[in-house]
Amino acid sequence: MTGARHITALRALWVTAILAFLYVPIMSVVLASMANTRYMRFPHKVWTLDAYREAIASFTTWQIHAISFWIAVYVVIFAVLLGTLGAVAFARFDWRGRSVFQRLLVLPIFFPQPVLGLALLLSLNAVGLAPSWKTAIVAHLVWIVPIVTLVISIRFFGYDPAQEEAARDLGANRWQVIREVTLPALWPGIFSGALFAFLLSWSNLPLSVYTSGPDTPLPVWLFSRTATNYSPLVPSVAVIGTLISALLVVSLALLLITARRLRAPRG
Amino acid sequence: MRTRTSPGPWFAAPVAVFMLLCFAAPILIVTWYSLMPSRTFDLTGALTTENYRAAFTEGYTRPLLWSLLGAATTTVITALLAWPTAVILHRYAGKWASVTSALIALPIFISESVRLFGMSVFLMPRGGILAGSLNAVFGIQIGSILNTWAAAQLGMIYIHLPFMLFPLLLGVSLIPADRIEAARDLGASRWQTFREVELPLAAPGLLIGALLTFVLCLGANAEAAILGGRAVTVITAAIEQRFNYAQDWPMGAALTVLVILVTALIVLPVLSRLDLNKLTRR
Amino acid sequence: MTPAEDVSNGRPVILSLAGLSKSFGSLKAVDDISLDIPEGEFLTIVGPSGSGKSTLVRLLAGLETPSGGDLFLREARITDHPANKRPTAMVFQSLALFDHRTVGQNIEFAMKMKGVPAAQRRQRALELLSLVRLPEAYYTRPVTQCSGGERQRVALARAFASEPEILFFDEPLSAIDYRLRKTLEVELKELHQRTRRTFVYITHSLEEAMVMSDRIAIMQDGRIVQTGTPAEIYGAPANRFVASFMGEVNILTVERGAAGGATFAEIGQPAEAPRGAYAMIRPEALALGDGPVTAQLEVTQRLLLGSRTQVHLVAPSGATLISELPGSAPELQIGTRHAFSFAPADIAWMET
Repeated sequence: MTGARHITALRALWVTAILAFLYVPIMSVVLASMANTRYMRFPHKVWTLDAYREAIASFTTWQIHAISFWIAVYVVIFAVLLGTLGAVAFARFDWRGRSVFQRLLVLPIFFPQPVLGLALLLSLNAVGLAPSWKTAIVAHLVWIVPIVTLVISIRFFGYDPAQEEAARDLGANRWQVIREVTLPALWPGIFSGALFAFLLSWSNLPLSVYTSGPDTPLPVWLFSRTATNYSPLVPSVAVIGTLISALLVVSLALLLITARRLRAPRG
Repeated sequence: MRTRTSPGPWFAAPVAVFMLLCFAAPILIVTWYSLMPSRTFDLTGALTTENYRAAFTEGYTRPLLWSLLGAATTTVITALLAWPTAVILHRYAGKWASVTSALIALPIFISESVRLFGMSVFLMPRGGILAGSLNAVFGIQIGSILNTWAAAQLGMIYIHLPFMLFPLLLGVSLIPADRIEAARDLGASRWQTFREVELPLAAPGLLIGALLTFVLCLGANAEAAILGGRAVTVITAAIEQRFNYAQDWPMGAALTVLVILVTALIVLPVLSRLDLNKLTRR
Repeated sequence: MTPAEDVSNGRPVILSLAGLSKSFGSLKAVDDISLDIPEGEFLTIVGPSGSGKSTLVRLLAGLETPSGGDLFLREARITDHPANKRPTAMVFQSLALFDHRTVGQNIEFAMKMKGVPAAQRRQRALELLSLVRLPEAYYTRPVTQCSGGERQRVALARAFASEPEILFFDEPLSAIDYRLRKTLEVELKELHQRTRRTFVYITHSLEEAMVMSDRIAIMQDGRIVQTGTPAEIYGAPANRFVASFMGEVNILTVERGAAGGATFAEIGQPAEAPRGAYAMIRPEALALGDGPVTAQLEVTQRLLLGSRTQVHLVAPSGATLISELPGSAPELQIGTRHAFSFAPADIAWMET
């Protein structure tokens, strides 16, 4: 059946084209980072990793990464705490006002981020707070807490609350029920929630632009240097920043797999 | 089970308080600012609607229209690109489905400043990745769309495609395969099956994707800044100008409130109809 | 009320319900139930959905607190004890297996809560696996990889592991296909006979109850309307609700005339010496041909049930009846009229 084979090929081609559309610009960043001229003349006459050497030697590179890192760490901690509690209210219990809570909670996701950033900046001014990396944490949380709540909630919806009753029935006290049944069942959701929180905070531009004040997180630095004062340092820092987040995801995944292996009982 | 003394509100309280302080309160403060006299920096002035009048008379409708147009175009095009992709991934990709989905999701976690920068070096005239490669390999000289509205539009589609694709993937997975077979069996054509069966069943996913894409595009200004070369001014850029250069905060606040109103008009009716439990539970 | 010794044949009462009630707002889910359960009994509580049987068993397990009445375990009052302080274990309708754990970890849960050392837990878990006829290799298998029947057995083993004095079952077989359900019913009965524990089983299927139980209690609107052995319930249902719960039976209404005579309203035949307001006649008791009580009935439907034939009949009054006959009964074609009859000895009389 050649007709069927044509369709299969066409489908593969379509998906490949979509992936190419998504990845060509990202590959372009990598290519641009290997130049040594301020003005791009592709293909480069000289292919070099000088920009990376310069980036690693530069204090600014470390500083912007450190700012982004600490913002993301605090965002993870608060988003997981608030999101786990929020998910319990969102999905585990049925209560009066739950559906209103659910709808209001997802509102910040459906809200233009630059507008949210500007509104927060104005409010900070109104209450007399100077914007800094700490206020950027708050701004990120407004957008990320609802997402983390949803991610953990999805875990809850596949969860049979009778498991908690069964544990009670088999002699577990309230704390043991939480430790032995609820948290382990929720753990994958909390883990992916934390990962989402870190990556979304690490890569966020529109909220940070308005709320980080004099502290410049990585995406904001890249944004401003793209517009003015461009050099191959910019793409090389972009590549380094992306690699760090990728490295984090991979190492966490490996850690999780190892932990699961170690915890699995030997038969 | 609905119990009378559910602990639900206690668990909801911390999130609710945080959202009231950091989401609802800022919106109220911005609204208050927008009612202050022009070029004031505190909230103690006499209330006035002058800024709103100015917003409609002093040429701010153009940026708003550009943003709305960009958002609408992006929503339609991403939907057209994402639907076949979602269908292929859900029904035909088999063991490749999860790998491909992961590859599509990954760019969401790469900063949009990085990706838009990549788009711009790709599109750059003469020495850009595309133009340079074509010239070196085939000797073809091409122009560039960089620094035009089209480039900004392309960037918006590029950035927001994953936001449309994932909800749509969820939507397509809500269509049971036997419903399509039943429709075909009852004599529906491919198009009729799509219109009468697939689209309505996948509607929640499509709705969420469209909503998300539209709203995110409404506020998008990095695309216009990096790729559009400020060929057109989008509404967020106009607001930023009011705040930074013109130092007219009440005016900027009034424009912000207008964008929030437009967003609310679009989001609230849709959101009130969605059953969030059903969607996340599946 | 029946004295406890009578139902228990001398066995001591293990669980005693004294006027137990539970209301949800204005709804009385469990309405003043008093019942004694002797040690080692297999008691099945049968009722349609909404009859309060699930609430009742949750009260017994300590998962709900009663709004009234008391509960005694071997004469000690346990009304206020929470579920984890009661020596009972429940097999849930959803089974409520811990999906993030292995089969072994599920079975060992109760022992782990009590602080039993790991080696001892494992040994006991392996014993329980063989009790429920699962291979030892299942010990390390995640429960998510078990089939429906295997999950049932894991839930059973997990409940047994807590060494409960009483096991409760909340319709655990309701989501299982027919053949597997039949197998598991027999296995459960055998397990009861081997272990001699007290089983309290909840179901909506009287058929299931008949197969397994020593005694059946039938629930309707939060009350127990009849208790008895399967044979007692089958032979003499207490009312039309219980009778109709048995499936397809004929129920005739006795109409008392002014002259002191009585007739079966549906078929217009005299009812001699009625001992109730309603008469239940099983389909197999409604035989072809003349007899003590005879009616002319028209066949409206015939269904072959393997070795028997079921015919749906309509009386001149418009009332419908059902008869089951051995063989294929070729003469009973649709549209034909025949004489059908039953004997007074086959009637089960009911007042309501």
